[in-house]
This record gives sequence, structure tokens and C-alpha cells, in this order.
Amino acid sequence: MLEAQQGIAARGIVPPLFEVSDLTKSYGPNCVLSDVDFTLARGESVALIGENGAGKSTFAKIMTGVTRPDSGTLRFDGVEVAFNAPRDALAAGLAFIPQELAYLPNLSVAENIVLGQWPGRSGLTTPRAIRARAKSVCDRYGIHFDLDAKMRQLKLAERQLVEIVKALLREARMIVLDEPTAALNDQESAALFAILRRLNQQDVGIVYISHRMDEVYRFSDRVDVLRNGRRVASVAPQETTPAQLIAHMLGQEKEEFTRGAVIQRGATGLQLRGWRSSGLPALADVNIDVQAGEIVGLYGVRGSGADLVAEGLAGLHREISGEIVIGGKARRLFASPYEAFTAGLAYVPAERKRDGLVFGLPIRRNITLMVIRSLSRMGFMNGPAEAAITDDLIRRFDVRFRGADQPVERLSGGNQQKVLLASRFATRPKFLVLHEPTRGVDVGARIDIHRLLAGVADEGCATLVVTSDVEEAVTVSDRLIVIRDGRIVGQLTGEAMTQTNAVSLATEG
Amino acid sequence: MSDQMTTAGAQKARGVRIDPQFLGLASFYVVLVIVFSFATPNFMSWSNGVNILSNITVLGFVALGQTLAIVSGGFDLSVSGTLPLGAVAYVILTNAGVPIPLALLLVIGIGAVVGIVNGVLVNKVGISPLIATLGSLSVTGGLALTLSRGVTIPMSNFDAGFLSEFAFGRVAWYVLVLIVLCIAVHGLMRYSVLGRMIYAVGGNADASRLAGIRVEVVSITVYTICAMLAAFAGVVVSSQLLVGSANVGADVALNSVAAVILGGASLMGGVGTIGGTLVGVLILGTIANGMALMMVPSFYQQMANGVILLLAVGLGRLREMRAGK
Repeated sequence: MLEAQQGIAARGIVPPLFEVSDLTKSYGPNCVLSDVDFTLARGESVALIGENGAGKSTFAKIMTGVTRPDSGTLRFDGVEVAFNAPRDALAAGLAFIPQELAYLPNLSVAENIVLGQWPGRSGLTTPRAIRARAKSVCDRYGIHFDLDAKMRQLKLAERQLVEIVKALLREARMIVLDEPTAALNDQESAALFAILRRLNQQDVGIVYISHRMDEVYRFSDRVDVLRNGRRVASVAPQETTPAQLIAHMLGQEKEEFTRGAVIQRGATGLQLRGWRSSGLPALADVNIDVQAGEIVGLYGVRGSGADLVAEGLAGLHREISGEIVIGGKARRLFASPYEAFTAGLAYVPAERKRDGLVFGLPIRRNITLMVIRSLSRMGFMNGPAEAAITDDLIRRFDVRFRGADQPVERLSGGNQQKVLLASRFATRPKFLVLHEPTRGVDVGARIDIHRLLAGVADEGCATLVVTSDVEEAVTVSDRLIVIRDGRIVGQLTGEAMTQTNAVSLATEG
Repeated sequence: MSDQMTTAGAQKARGVRIDPQFLGLASFYVVLVIVFSFATPNFMSWSNGVNILSNITVLGFVALGQTLAIVSGGFDLSVSGTLPLGAVAYVILTNAGVPIPLALLLVIGIGAVVGIVNGVLVNKVGISPLIATLGSLSVTGGLALTLSRGVTIPMSNFDAGFLSEFAFGRVAWYVLVLIVLCIAVHGLMRYSVLGRMIYAVGGNADASRLAGIRVEVVSITVYTICAMLAAFAGVVVSSQLLVGSANVGADVALNSVAAVILGGASLMGGVGTIGGTLVGVLILGTIANGMALMMVPSFYQQMANGVILLLAVGLGRLREMRAGK
């Protein structure tokens, strides 16, 4: 019987576990995925890699029913499927572990595992039965935790494992993970992959999105590369080199944007000295120096510590130790955004909707958010001065809108981002720190924003662009610093400042 | 581009746009007035108009402060304790011979202390506004009972009731004070830096913090203003009744929240106007008055308030959801 099955498999009659063909998905005019083919065999592990915006997350979401494709077919176990919701996918045996886990923090681990699959009859169940069911699935796959602990007491890595066990209880035969290791340390990642390997041996298929070359090499049977919504490579890692994979990720290198930076050396710059933190990732002696008139890029993949540096400069991480040198004087890190603001530093947050703009307020009021004090006399707003400054900034930042009294949320992402930049620039900052300045922004607005940054720097502003977008990092920076695992691993300038060099520094450990 | 600029200019030239929700609310009020004037002959008269104004004044003062609290993203239930505390303290102080202006200042000072405590509990200790102000409601209400020993204290210095004297016609001073304060708070919300910060903090506290606004300071200021207004409302109650009692103002917390929400504010913060709140207060006051004139028992009145609040907020939500689709 077994031999017969193997024979059939060899002749290709047993269908692969999961098969996708001609998958296409657009959001408005943006084509996110075009004609993607993909197969996954039983017990196989596939790593999905690609630059930001390559379509990896959308692909994962389509596979698991979170998003519906525009066209293309999905076959699971040889049968064509169309999932309307993650629940349908899970019922078919296909689980998705997103980056932002959804769980019930105040319930126990056992209760979280068994959620919705309560043992018992006629609507009655007991804590003991729940615990027993959770234990049996844990034992079956050899994954162990304290089942009685509250979910919120667990570390992130353990919470991820709970999600996996939860999927296994529902008889999942394929698990898709979106950047599972982004927030894990090396040990935790290794433990996770060991468990995934064991699941492979039990014929569970694994697809995971990764940003790290090292784990691609250590763990996957095959690596698929997405670029601009197309699958451009599908190879076994041992048959290729990291450099080749990076070349696939980047494709043709784009034309570079050149500018003659007028760097003013001296006391007017911004320096970070000896930044250290514990936690994940832990910063280890990060030193960065930005001169007035210069744009310095800080590039790192997710979880590299670049975010921490940006937020630390904004006064959001008091726990980081180290110094900031401004105006030639060393001081502690800013204890609050207010301190950063009074020191002349403007911070452009990555999440413009959550941390940047005040939705509900008009464009005009968002632009003057940081300067309402200086636009007032004895506590009352000077209307004409406010109108003048907003009109001026709107023109300069080329915000396209119907009226300055329009609520800011009606604007497109690119124009929202310009409003955010204008609000920061209204303060005439000496130091500008931008965190993912063009995330979720269309190409035209992205070029506009990069030009604006060059203009801002030319006026003598010391500008630090913290980004996980390598194209942006290389395009906009006069000098590019690369960070990995909380450490500065290199600095690129001039000819050496290429996307390939930046990615290989940031991903190879 | 040039054409987009023109539209912006044109909008500016057209001047102040009136919010459609406010317009809807105001027209509802007009309809309410018309209905009552047909239903009961005594409704549409100068003296009844003055009557309504007098009856809504106390709620009006509290709702002004409540608007600030709600727009800033919080709310304040402790007004129902601060108000009787102010009422009792004012009568005790003036009875003891403290000069009236000083007594007034002290009472407002007591309000300020309550407000600062609320603000600190919410912003520095991190207690949710519901729990924090519920706690201080009990403490201040209990304090009012303790100070008055649970009895109604008659006002012995009748000059202390000066706010109830008529400024002109049959319009009492407290109505004038309310009108002046409404204009002042409206100006504060619309034209001052603090007002801008209140809308920003309520709209998005994280973004405001990152924009260098001291969110905690703004919020504590708002709670302080709110409690000062509630304490002052206590003085008005004492002036109206010429007694100090700890048993006044129990309904003012929920009614003020209802008036503010009816006026178009959102409990999520960032939205709401003084004009809207005033119409909200007027609607509640007019329903009470009209139904009393029609001899409808007050239980029905309470139900009517609830139905109107649910209708107003529910219709607003439905419209939002439709617009979202």
C-alpha cells in the first residue's frame, strides 16, 4: 500500500498539498500580485522573501482566506477552494499565524488553545476537560508549556507557539507564518524552527515570510522570491547564494537620485553616543553622527533596532541608556516628546494614522498642530498668521486637496504624509528624524517627499531617515548606516552605497 | 493645481460653514418648540422662556465643563458630588461671615482641587475616567453630607443669594453669567491655544504627544475647569434655593453627559462644540418644561429624555455608517 502510494507520488498523480496558479490581486490601480504560481508539497518548508511592498503579506493573506484574490485558482489537496474568511481556510486545514497575534490575554493557555473547540456535550464543558484536550494536542506534537498560565504572562515566542498548537488542534495540515521571527531572539527562533521541522516530519506544510537570509539557509527546503508582485525565483537554498537571492529581490537597480549635499560640519549636528538597551532587539553601543545639511539613512530590516533608535530620538524610550549630543553639549536621551520638541528636534512617526495626524481635524489644524503656541498671542490664535503659514506650507509641500478645512483623513496616503511632514517642518526644526517616511505612499508622492527632504537638508537641517525600505535608503541618503540585531554593522557612502550592499549587510549574520 | 488653490480660496471667502449635524439638532429644537406651543397655551410666553432659562442654568454650567472633558477624550461623573459640595460649602462659609466674594473664590478653589485630583488620577495614576471620577463622586458627595451633617442648612446671609436677583426684567444674574461664560468657553474652544490642544488631545492623544503637546497637562487643566464650573453651579443652586443641601445635583452628571452627546460630541473625544451642547441642554430643559406644563408625570419626562438621546446618537451613527460605505 505504502509502496503503491509512493509509486503514484513518483508519477506525480498525488497532487501537492497546496497549489496556486495565476493569482492576481490589485488594490485600485496598484497591482500587488500578478500571475503568481506557487506549490507546496506535504511536509515541505518554503520561505517567502522579497523587498517591502513585494506582495508577500498579501500573498499570505490570500492563501489563508483573509483577502480574496481578483483571479487565479487555489487548490488544497487537489480540490479547488475559495476561502471567504480565515475561518473557512482553517476548517479546510490551513492556518495563518499573523504578526499581530489575536488571543485572549486573561484566559489560560489551555483555554486559548481550545477556544471554540470546547470538549463536552449539550453546551456544557469543564475546565478539566479543556485542560485535558489542550494537553493531549501538546503531547502529540511534543510542544510544552504551562497550560495554566495566563496568556498575558507568556513571552511572545511562547504565544506564537500557542497559536501554532491552536492550529494543530484544528487539524491544520498547512501553516502560513508572517515574519514569525521578527521579534524573537536567536534562541527562540531556533526553538521555533525546531518545532516547525518536527511538524514537517508529520507531513505539515509550512510557508513563512522572512526578512533574514540566515534563517532561509538554515531552515527552508525551498525559497521563493517575490518582486513587485511577481514570483521571480523558486529554488532550493543550497543551489543558490545569498547574493543571487538579493539580486532576485532587487531586480534591476533603479536610477539613483543625486544631490550635492552642503554638509556643515561643526557643533550644529546631532550625535547619538553609546546607545544601549536591553530587551529585543537590544541596542549595543549605537553611535550615529548627523551633520547639519546632511541626510543620513539608517537602514535595517524589521526587528533590527532601527525603530528603537527612531523612537528613542523622539523621547519614547526612556529605558535606553546613552547620550545625545546637540549644540556641542551631551545630554541624556529625551525623556518625552515634549523635551525633544523643545530641543529643536522634529520626529515624523512611522504610523501616520496612529501617531501622526489627528483624524477629524482639518488639514489646516493638523499642519499647525506643533506651532499653535508660536501662532498665538496671549493664549489666543492669530488667525491670519495661521492661514499664512498653512498656505505657505501647503504650497511648498505640494499638498493636493479640495480645501484646507477638509478633514485630513479624506486625503490620499501620499498627501496625508505631506501634511504630516509640513506639520513637522512648521517648527523650523534643527534636527529632523523621519521614521519610514514613505510607507504606504504612492510612487509620485514618494519622489516628491524625497525631493522635499533634500530641500530641507539643504537649508541646514540635520536629517536622519530611518527606513526598512532599501530603495529609499539608498536613494535619499548622503550616507547610509546599516543596523542589524541592535548593532551598527556598516556604513556605506558613494559608489558602495547600493541596494545589494545594504541588503547583504542587513540580512546576513 | 491653480484650480485647487482657487477652491481653497473660495471656501475661505464663503466664511464659516455650519455643521449639518448642528443644523439638524437646531431644527429639531425649533420643531419641539412649535409642538409644545400648540400643545399647551402657556408655553409660548416671555415668562415661560425665562422660566426655561432659569431651570437649565445649573445643568448649563456643568455641561460647559463636561463638553471640555468629553472633547478632550475623558468625562467627569464627579460633578454630581462637586456640585453639592460647592453648594454646602458656600452656605457654610457665608453663614460664618466670610465675605461673599471670598466665599465664592474659596468654593471655586475647592472645585479646582477636586478637578486637579481627578486629572492626576486619570493622567498620572492611569485610572480610567469612569472609575476615577466615580470614586471622587463618592468622596465629594460624602464630604458634602458630612459638612452639612445630612441636613439642609438655611442661608442666613441673604445677600449671598445675589445671583438669583433679577438683572433686568425677570432675568436673574445667573442666567447672564451663564451666557457670558458660554461665550467665553466658546471662544476658548475655538480661538485659543488650549482649545486647539483639547481637540487635538481628544482626537489622537498619541499623535498629540509626539507633536510635543503635554497631553497630561492639557487633560488636568480640563478636569480642573470642569470641576470649577460644577462647584460654581453649586453656588447657583444655593442662591436659587437659599439653602445649602447635599441632596442636590444627583442627576446632573448623567444629564450633562447626555446634553453634550446630544449636542454632537463623541465619547471617543475630539468632536463637540459649545453651541451643540447649549442646544442639547435647551432640548432637555424644554422637554422638562413643556411636559410639566402639559401635566405629564415626570417619569415620562425621564423616558422621553432617554428616547431622544438614543434617537439622536443612533441616527448620527447610522448616517456615519452609510457615509462610510
